[in-house]
Amino acid sequence: MVLALIFSSPLLADDLFLDNDPLPQVLTATRLKQSPAAVPGSMTVIDSELISASGARDISELLRLVPGMMVGNISGNQAAVNYHGTKASEARRMQVLIDGRSVYRAGLATVDWSDIPVAMEDIERIEVFRGPNTVSYGANALMAVVNIITRKPADSHGTRLKVTRGQRGINDFYASQGMGWDSGDLRLSLSGQQDDGFDSDRTGADYRDSRRLNRFSLAVSQMLNENQSIDWQLNAKDGTNQRPYTYRPVFSGITAAGNNSDVIAKDYAGSLRWNLDINPDHSLYIQGSAQHWDRQQTWRACDAEISFSPELTQLWQLNPNYTERLARNMDRYTVSGAPAGTAAERALGNQVLRQWQDGARQTLCGDIDQSARESRYDLELQDTLSLSDSLRLVSGMNYRYDRANSETYFNGTLDDTTWRAFGQLEWRATEHWLLQGGAMYEDTQLTGNSLTPRVAVNYLINPRHGLRAVYSEAIRSPDMFENNVNWSYQVTNLKPSAYGQSSARYFVKTRGPGDLEQERMRSRELGYNGYFAEWGLAVDVKLFYDEITGMISEPLRNNQYIASNSNSSRFSGTETQLDWRVSSADRLRLTYAYVDAEASNPLDAQQTARNSGSAGWLRSWGQGWNSALFYYGADALNGYRFERVDTRIAKRIGLGKANLELAGILQQRLDNQPTTFVDNNYDDRRVLYFSAELEF
Amino acid sequence: MPHRPPPKTPTLGCLLAGLCLVFTGLLCNLPARAADILLTGAEDSPGMQSFVQALSELRPTDSVRFQPVASLPAPGQLPVDTRLILLDLPSLDWRLQDAQGPATLVLRISRLQARQRLGNEMPTHLSLLWSDPPLDRQLRLTRLLLPEARRVGVLFDSHSEFLLKEVRQAALPLGLEVVTERWDNTNDSRPLQALLKNSDVLLGLDDPDLYNPKTVKNLLLSSYARQLALIGPNAAFVRAGSLASTYSDQNDWLKILDELLDRPSSTWPRALYPQHFKVLSNPQVARSLSIEPMNEASVATQLAEGERRP
Repeated sequence: MVLALIFSSPLLADDLFLDNDPLPQVLTATRLKQSPAAVPGSMTVIDSELISASGARDISELLRLVPGMMVGNISGNQAAVNYHGTKASEARRMQVLIDGRSVYRAGLATVDWSDIPVAMEDIERIEVFRGPNTVSYGANALMAVVNIITRKPADSHGTRLKVTRGQRGINDFYASQGMGWDSGDLRLSLSGQQDDGFDSDRTGADYRDSRRLNRFSLAVSQMLNENQSIDWQLNAKDGTNQRPYTYRPVFSGITAAGNNSDVIAKDYAGSLRWNLDINPDHSLYIQGSAQHWDRQQTWRACDAEISFSPELTQLWQLNPNYTERLARNMDRYTVSGAPAGTAAERALGNQVLRQWQDGARQTLCGDIDQSARESRYDLELQDTLSLSDSLRLVSGMNYRYDRANSETYFNGTLDDTTWRAFGQLEWRATEHWLLQGGAMYEDTQLTGNSLTPRVAVNYLINPRHGLRAVYSEAIRSPDMFENNVNWSYQVTNLKPSAYGQSSARYFVKTRGPGDLEQERMRSRELGYNGYFAEWGLAVDVKLFYDEITGMISEPLRNNQYIASNSNSSRFSGTETQLDWRVSSADRLRLTYAYVDAEASNPLDAQQTARNSGSAGWLRSWGQGWNSALFYYGADALNGYRFERVDTRIAKRIGLGKANLELAGILQQRLDNQPTTFVDNNYDDRRVLYFSAELEF
Repeated sequence: MPHRPPPKTPTLGCLLAGLCLVFTGLLCNLPARAADILLTGAEDSPGMQSFVQALSELRPTDSVRFQPVASLPAPGQLPVDTRLILLDLPSLDWRLQDAQGPATLVLRISRLQARQRLGNEMPTHLSLLWSDPPLDRQLRLTRLLLPEARRVGVLFDSHSEFLLKEVRQAALPLGLEVVTERWDNTNDSRPLQALLKNSDVLLGLDDPDLYNPKTVKNLLLSSYARQLALIGPNAAFVRAGSLASTYSDQNDWLKILDELLDRPSSTWPRALYPQHFKVLSNPQVARSLSIEPMNEASVATQLAEGERRP
């Protein structure tokens, strides 16, 4: 086979009868990817057909199609997505990339799924690497990697207009224009999203979690010459996420309160990538990106004047437990005197109690500013070298600068610099055996350095069926918040003033330990991937055993946040996915995951459904009619069952050169439980929405 | 094919007729032994030189020579028994100015080029030897490599539209469905996207308006992104990233010419697809698309065997 190519090449060169047009080699060894059976790990691809058939309005909802993915909600505008599990309120052990740019917020260790400046309609496919892979994706690719790939400008020509309207205040739009010229292509899209979120909280009162957002996106590809091209993108998102007012006064007798703590969330991103094909066996790219996350969150909170007492602040610094006990029982201790403690504690305690008696129990209201602004600049060089027909080396370097600014969280600005070098070698030892291994070295200014290896062996029974064994290590660097938080509230606009000041610092102050180390994951996996071409059936099965040590699992709370690396978790189980094109009209898709979680901190096992999965049936009925039926189920996410059936029925109508697609989506919950958290309730288990999309 | 009679028991009449044919052939061949084989083209490139050289080695008893078309008189003034071989389109243009003149073999001409120059006509003094792979063969190659593919996507424009009927006819007995999409403006990728959405494999027509150095990148990257293989349109595209194609190289054409030159020019067919051919595949693309590595020679043999069956 190899010989044939070698022999035929010179023949092609001077043969009068072979078209000697100088065609560039397009699908080169460096551009071609591993076949599914040869991938060194587990991969789930959500293609454009599934994306549109699902009728999903959120990226997080699509991830329900990935086996082992635990998709929950903190509120209507905050998704919590974990692979295999860990905490329900924080999902921070998964890397999320959009066209190679990480949208994982380094400052606050979250992915704001709803704020990602990408419209669903611009997504070509989502590739989910199920398992750790820091070698290819950098630190934080701890439990999984979600790689969102937008549609290439060259594939988005023409005009698309779409509106979606429905119950629960659903009101979305999308408009895009794509065009091509001799050496390049462009896509401009504008989109918006709006809904009411969940309907009611645990008390039955209206739940404040609606959202409203607008996005702008521009993507351009430009060929510079035969072997060089550039791709650049600009993305922006602006919107409001409602948040309920959750401040509970520490001191008794306070009845005044604010009514919300809504967030204005703005995301900006720009990236530029230069691709160079040195020759068919060697290519590289350099990608630079800049991102900015702006979360403006100010709200009015009320508590007693004593909250701003310098003596109380001093006491907190001495002993937060003692202070909290005192603060929550002021009236009782006014009678008995400061609770037992050291002499200094008692002295300060009694001063505070005196202030309380002297009128510091009066209610004050002021503005709390919990805004955070984070920026990231990232530069990556990746080189792909095909050393021979059976040996390929992918290597590269990455530099990242992160800066977070927040008066509340960091008392100003904090920054961090990360250097990373990585290399991965793919060696096709024989037609059947494939060995892939690599390592990443990372050095972070705030947390130090680490080296993580990864090795995989694939045995290809034939090109379409392969067995794999993978061992990998991965790390997650603690984010700035966990490690370096310097949390205190400067309350402004105080009315009436506190001790004569209109701006004062709240007594609670929390500091991160500053010496946290990386969390470390060790993952072992055995798997099978096969494609039965004659039936159109693709199957993947995996068994896994993952351990995380040095786990930072203390909740991020501002009273007594003491983070440590003292926890650990273990996840083991099996996953399977099945994609069957039964006929040219029917496609069946099934996923199932059995996950057993054990965690030293019970909170880290709460977002693990022991049994979860999805089933889908897509059918094209002819005459432009299409239907899709999906079932999603998880037996317990944060203790609550989740079962839903989504139906989408669409009709495509040709209008001359244009195409109109009308679709109706009905989502029916099968259970009667809140979604992930007790406050996430819908009045009706059913929601209906419609969309109309015009393409020309 | 005329030189390969069907294997059935000959009757006496047939035998006699055959005998006559052999004699006529011998008679015709006698002058042909010292035939004057004239090859012509616009300019004398190294490729042409090596081809002329190879042909003269193959036919040592003939006089094989190359003369640039500019130096030739009008075709009608050439001796009628000259065996004239055209190697490019300028020489065809020269030949077409005169209906008189020797019977002519036209090499390196595609169906599309012939259609553009000749319309539906098939001039009786020309034998057109098609340079583009026959669609039926390409379809059978597709079925051999991707037996599960049912829907074959074909891009066309106004120049190649006339081939669609043939593709459909060839696809029918193979149980393949042909999905087509008109692509008049290659800067607009929508037809390509629409086709990729509805096909299991793409078949490339040898239409340089659609398949050229400018479109190759978009075509191959877009189809690969959907994990669809492209078959054809020619060998150069296989090197760029198409999965496979049949093709005929110089050696194949020399064999074909040798056979034709042995025959009287009156028996030359009006048009002919080369019966000698090879298969070229791109093993790296095959591997990435999870397709078994193929033995090109044996695939070519299988295809050829299929063509011999009635």
